[in-house]
Amino acid sequence: MNNMYLAERTVHTQAQPIKFRCSDVQVWYGEKHALKDVSVDLQDKTVTAFIGPSGCGKSTFLRCLNRMNDTIPVARVTGQMLLDGDDIYDRRVDPVQLRARVGMVFQKPNPFPKSIYDNVAYGPKIHGLARNKAELDGVVEQALRGAALWDEVKDRLHESGTGLSGGQQQRLCIARAVATAPEVLLMDEPCSALDPIATAQVEELIDELREQFSVVIVTHSMQQAARVSQKTAFFHLGHLVEYGSTDDIFTRPQDPRTESYISGRIG
Amino acid sequence: MPPFWIMIVILGAAVLGYALGRGRAVRAVSGNTRLLHSRPNYYGWNVALLTAVPSLALLLAGVLAQPVIGGEDRAPSNGGVFAGVVLVVALAGMALALTRTTPAFRARNVVERVIRGMLILCSLIAIATTVGIVLSLVFESLNFFRLYPWQDFFFGTEWTPSFGGGSELGILPLLWGTLYISVIALLVAVPVGLFAAIYMSEYASKRVRSIVKPAIEVLAGIPTIVYGLFALVTVGPLIRDWLAQPMGLGNSASSVMTAGLVMGMMLIPFVSSLSDDIINAVPQSLRDGSLALGSTPSETIRQVVLPAALPGIVGAVLLAASRAIGETMIVVMGAGAMARISPNPFEAMTTITVKIVGQLTGDNDFASPETLVAFALGLTLFVITLGLNVFALYIVRKYREQYE
Repeated sequence: MNNMYLAERTVHTQAQPIKFRCSDVQVWYGEKHALKDVSVDLQDKTVTAFIGPSGCGKSTFLRCLNRMNDTIPVARVTGQMLLDGDDIYDRRVDPVQLRARVGMVFQKPNPFPKSIYDNVAYGPKIHGLARNKAELDGVVEQALRGAALWDEVKDRLHESGTGLSGGQQQRLCIARAVATAPEVLLMDEPCSALDPIATAQVEELIDELREQFSVVIVTHSMQQAARVSQKTAFFHLGHLVEYGSTDDIFTRPQDPRTESYISGRIG
Repeated sequence: MPPFWIMIVILGAAVLGYALGRGRAVRAVSGNTRLLHSRPNYYGWNVALLTAVPSLALLLAGVLAQPVIGGEDRAPSNGGVFAGVVLVVALAGMALALTRTTPAFRARNVVERVIRGMLILCSLIAIATTVGIVLSLVFESLNFFRLYPWQDFFFGTEWTPSFGGGSELGILPLLWGTLYISVIALLVAVPVGLFAAIYMSEYASKRVRSIVKPAIEVLAGIPTIVYGLFALVTVGPLIRDWLAQPMGLGNSASSVMTAGLVMGMMLIPFVSSLSDDIINAVPQSLRDGSLALGSTPSETIRQVVLPAALPGIVGAVLLAASRAIGETMIVVMGAGAMARISPNPFEAMTTITVKIVGQLTGDNDFASPETLVAFALGLTLFVITLGLNVFALYIVRKYREQYE
């Protein structure tokens, strides 16, 4: 069944313009060299999966893409990361503005202890994306529809977001990120805290989100990478070992380490 | 024999009992302690406890009951008999425990049960003290209300106690002073303390925090009488010379403003320390979530961290408020002793606590309304602060449920 899914997917993997162009990215956490010489080009309107064993640097790389590593005092990043040709680590770039363009969904659902409505309206309010209440209502509804949550919560928009189930909370967090109208959406193991049914819903959602923007997803599950992504990057011990179309990575891996990992011998 | 010496003898017997019990248990298994149910020490403790606890309890009961049943003059004659009875009980306890010391005896279980009983007793003592304080306040207050109409006490706007009679004992001027000073104190302490807490938990580096936090908490260790001196000598004259007199609002060094400002300084570490803990308890994932949406650190603090921490912060503020209401020394030295209702913060006023001290110092009989009023004042104060504390605890508890 997985293979059928994969085959169907390959039809869409046409060359898309490059969104993120990263070269020679290095990351240190204090003395620890967490990421070594990573160069990768991420396509627009494509789901790119980062796979690899724990501690391989895939989440670290993800957090470089919206400068969330800036919040960790000991982290140091070098190298070049161009978003639409502009270096995001340039001194003139405000990480706050960057994060409005590159949204992020975390491993554990982290809805704010506010109402469902306010959770989604948070980003648009901060960035002034709506001129009045009616417009804001529209943005919220669209984001919740986009996250396939609208039908479940439309009658209780003013109840607390923390009262939802785990899967609903994660979709609320996706809606919250989508409402800010980002160009790239980063997802750090978005399904690892969810049950299989909620996982399936979120995966379906990720596939739909690809229509609007570039999605980068870190995952521990190779099945998930195979199901949702068009491009896959395999990280091992801080190196980017192999990057290519998901199809190739899973069926014709070039590097012996990739092959060992996807066949379950390491990791 | 005086009770003190009886006690020493009993404790000596207990030590002896410990040695005997332990030795007997070890000897019963001829040194192979693995055959005992419990470790040898428990057999020793078992004997010691059974020697000391019942006899000491009897001794305590006897000492407490002596004034009731004996009277001072008959004490010596009965004293010898009583001491004998207590010592016999101690020896009987020791003998009973020793005869029960066999390898199969579950000494550990017995000792642990006794210790649990003592722990319960200690917590009961704390509760009993509170109940005792409340009861003494209530009974004395009832005496007061028998002599003085409660309507005049709760709704009277005059406070002019005179021991010759014809006193006006209205609580309102005192309540006004108390609340006025507390409000000023909170107006100082809450913003300063809260902002200090936000700086410490959100912006300060680990090193700065490790210096600033203890430095602020030093303020909490200063005795309030020292704050009082500060109010009397420094803040009071300063406010009079630079604010009150130039504005023509009064020329008294002791004023509501003085006491309020100094009390506010005293409360800063309370508010900042508690708020800091509460803000730190807000999960980092919420901050990350907000930052990842492109909000600035200050937007994150205002719109996510503080709302999440708000119930806890309210709890901290209410605890600070009940401290402010109960504070005495700063008010005595900073605010003066005039009971009046006035909106001018540069006038001397006074509080409930100060007047309680005032009514009870000196040689007064405890039958006139002028002295008994102190208990009614105390009870009112107790009810107000208790209410605030209960409310604060309720809010803090509700907050805790959210993140655990």
